[in-house]
Amino acid sequence: MILVAALSVLIGTVLSCFLAILPGLHIYNVMGLAVLLIYKLQALGMAVAPEVYLPFMIGLVVGWSVLNTIPSVLLGAPDESAIFTVLPGQKYLMTGRGYEGTMMIGAGSLVGLFVLIFIIAPFAPRYLPVVRYVLSPHMHWILWVIITFILMTEWPKGGNRGPAGWRKFADAWSTLSAGLFTFILSGLFGFLLLYRTPIAIEDSFQNIMPAFVGLFAVPWCLLNALSSAKVPKQYVRDTLNINGDLLLRSGVAGGIGGGFAAFFPVVTGGIGGLLAGHATAQRDERVFLMSQGVSKVVYYTGALMLFFVPGLFLTRGGGAWILKGLYTPKTWGDYYLALGSIALAGGLSFLLMSPLTKWTLKLMKRVDYRLISVFALGIIVALAFSITGWIGLFVMTVGTGIGLIPVLFGSRRLNCLGILLLPIACNMSGIGEPIARFLGLL
Amino acid sequence: MKGIAHFISGVAVASFCPWAIAAAQEGNPAYFILGAVAGILPDTIDFKFYRFFYHHDIQVEPRPDQLDPQPIADAVAKAVSLTAGEKRATLKLSTARLSADNWRQYRVKIHPEIREVRVQFGPIVSTGQIPQPDSLPEPRPIGVAKFDAPILQNYESIYTVDIFDGPSFAFQENKAGQVEIDFLPWHRNWSHSLAVGLVLAAIACLWTWKAGVVIAGAYLIHLIEDQMGHMGSNILFPFTKKRLPGFKLMHSSDAFPNFSGVWLCCLLIFWNIYAANESSLYHFGFVRFIMTAMIIPFAIFGFIRWLVMLPDRNCPKDIPIGWDL
Repeated sequence: MILVAALSVLIGTVLSCFLAILPGLHIYNVMGLAVLLIYKLQALGMAVAPEVYLPFMIGLVVGWSVLNTIPSVLLGAPDESAIFTVLPGQKYLMTGRGYEGTMMIGAGSLVGLFVLIFIIAPFAPRYLPVVRYVLSPHMHWILWVIITFILMTEWPKGGNRGPAGWRKFADAWSTLSAGLFTFILSGLFGFLLLYRTPIAIEDSFQNIMPAFVGLFAVPWCLLNALSSAKVPKQYVRDTLNINGDLLLRSGVAGGIGGGFAAFFPVVTGGIGGLLAGHATAQRDERVFLMSQGVSKVVYYTGALMLFFVPGLFLTRGGGAWILKGLYTPKTWGDYYLALGSIALAGGLSFLLMSPLTKWTLKLMKRVDYRLISVFALGIIVALAFSITGWIGLFVMTVGTGIGLIPVLFGSRRLNCLGILLLPIACNMSGIGEPIARFLGLL
Repeated sequence: MKGIAHFISGVAVASFCPWAIAAAQEGNPAYFILGAVAGILPDTIDFKFYRFFYHHDIQVEPRPDQLDPQPIADAVAKAVSLTAGEKRATLKLSTARLSADNWRQYRVKIHPEIREVRVQFGPIVSTGQIPQPDSLPEPRPIGVAKFDAPILQNYESIYTVDIFDGPSFAFQENKAGQVEIDFLPWHRNWSHSLAVGLVLAAIACLWTWKAGVVIAGAYLIHLIEDQMGHMGSNILFPFTKKRLPGFKLMHSSDAFPNFSGVWLCCLLIFWNIYAANESSLYHFGFVRFIMTAMIIPFAIFGFIRWLVMLPDRNCPKDIPIGWDL
């Protein structure tokens, strides 16, 4: 059975290689489709054992969380958890060091896996149930405090020159206002999708997908496709300019941020990365990049791992929710199976990182960067259409309109997360329905 | 301290108020949000509002394509000379932005003993203030300007100008005839005073005195934290015009105190919530809690960091940059 499980992990991880390279495709969408397939097989009398599909799913999530760095950095098509890596990543790309930037985040991912397996996993069964018990009635205000933090800590980018006065103030506040506007619009969009979703009921498990793709991935693809920037010649270095201290610091920063995001509801990897960056006051770009790699892996893989922690009974993240419909972990054996699968998938996906990055760079050398962006955009649109139809495309277009605001005004793209944060925080505080009624959605 | 440290300190203050936790358990997050907002508000007032309306008598805006340090040195000397007769002169040194993430760094050094200001351009730095290799300009002339008045050096003698908004200074001649330098005169002034905190708390008291207590406490903790640094705050405004010097225990951007402060606040919030929960399934004391969640992990981290840094002990931390100031 161990061999079967190991084989399942390897298949899941290898499959995730191809899925991770496709910009805009979220692994949870693929997991949702895989679950539907398992149900169909069960209906046909061909039951699939948990020892087969659990490691396979874990391989998918781990591989994707490590390898989706490649499109984020090289193609500028991030998912929400990777939005902070795009700008510094593109800086590496535009100075011919795209490989180095990608591998640096990859090194962070490896640190993240280490943090998960050797630090969080041994202590989680003992301490996390206590934390959960104490904090459970307080999740709602923690979410409100996070929203307040996101809105209050975006500092003005303009207004640095010229005489004092209203003009200077208006220049500074143009980015801040755009950020606030984005958050409010995203929040209203979230209310709409939550209370009166236009997505067909049979596709409801993909309800948020077209909106997320529109908010986060499409604007970057559009911008890259329209930009006149030419990607310079890329150099592949054998070594990374990092040391143990940088790895340690990025591990702490990203581990805390990703862990926070994995544990608390609705808090995503992007928010975790933001909090970690602020809390640890890291200025070194390399630490920042690696910590984002750590945070991303700890968030996606950690949330799934928490699902298996004995005595915790915690379901966080789309992956765990999808699995919950299929299986409920009961024993320490399930936990060890999950940890072993994470370790195996993590090691393999890190080893695949370098060849896949080189392959993508080769592709970029042969094909124009803008053409790749157009192709990526085509894949995203096709995926949204194939899963959610015309109405999904419409939702994606609305999301794109909102997602373009921070891109064009230079404000924080995390404000787009108002789509989740605002309606869910309102619901958790018991004011969601009155607001939805006020908005005419009920 | 960094914004997040002030922010979470405000939340921690709110968690010490039993009514805040009781309200939160009934679904009302207002006191915690108020604490968070009040915790970061003094800096919000300064950085998002007041600084855009603060007038400068002299404003230097260096062009990144013309790296001439002389006009900058002249402007500083002129600002000093304008203070003759106990007048006040304000100066703003703008940054030299090259692109979205690149800035040309320059340094200004004031030599009180020889009554001279010297300015030199340095490397291109990222927004993280990390110098880029091989980015020093060639040649690197030094701008030198003399001033007549004696300077009272009470902050720092070297000012590095690189990212975002540049620094500003207020020069004023005191009764002894010395020119005092007030660094960032628009920052940590009236906004960082007990009086403003109390006024805001009084306004909140119109809703409920409980909100007033949270706001006053969060505001006060911000002032205390800032006082740990070098600059200090004008805590007793409107009775004083100058900032009370800080205790110089840390720099506001230091990673370790900021992280320790944030982590400690998180633990205090957790403890206060735990202590307020009477029907707790789990039982542990405060000392054990702090030992497990802070002292031991920090000690382990410190030891591991010491170990991993051993091989790099003799390596220079940053790219060496020669300054001839």
